[in-house]
Amino acid sequence: MTPDLSAILKSKSLYRQRLAARPVAEKLRMLDALRERALLLRPASSSIVREDPAPYIPGKTR
Amino acid sequence: MNIQEVIRTINRMQADGVIDSYAIGGAVGATFHLEPVSTLDVDVFISFRPEPGSILISPRPIYDYLTARGCSAEGEYIIIAGWPVQFLPPTGPLADEALSKAFVHDVDGVPVRVFSAEYLAAIALQTGRAKDKARLLQFVESGILDATAFEDILTRHALAERWARFQQQFLSDTP
Repeated sequence: MTPDLSAILKSKSLYRQRLAARPVAEKLRMLDALRERALLLRPASSSIVREDPAPYIPGKTR
Repeated sequence: MNIQEVIRTINRMQADGVIDSYAIGGAVGATFHLEPVSTLDVDVFISFRPEPGSILISPRPIYDYLTARGCSAEGEYIIIAGWPVQFLPPTGPLADEALSKAFVHDVDGVPVRVFSAEYLAAIALQTGRAKDKARLLQFVESGILDATAFEDILTRHALAERWARFQQQFLSDTP
């Protein structure tokens, strides 16, 4: 078997495009499902699965 | 677990005068433009109102409003409809501008303000964590960015050099 990487990447890209084109309400329901899955995998101590916050960017640049 | 209920709650907060303008950013904001982006929380950028008699801004009215309606606070988050929600002041001039120029989307008849794709991409470039770079790549590869608007934002916020480095690192055939 000779895997054709370019065909795999093209297929993945098309799949992502199809997902992006779904109605927003449907995509938000997918987020709900993804978060429920993340909670199933978390330690049981908290409903929060923390992310690192973005740094504050001080100063005017415009 | 219902992110649309989060949106309805934020709209009620705005209608009740607890917050002025708001816009959703982060991965949830990106999901309005891209394929769903797995995330653990909802970032809501708001313009905080100073409390009466104070020049300091405080998230207390938000927490008081939401906890009175059954939401719970957990660390820097408040849990709405099962989602940890973080209310953030604009983290700098770029986010400030993104908030003022956010678009209104319609989600099953419910309006929601969201950062534009160009501002989300610029903020990802500015923030610069690994996941932000991955998100920026998603925006670039999706082909949805308005190049003129994006480059205008980058120029006005002194991000052109960083963008050139990003292009060299991730979008060039020659490393």
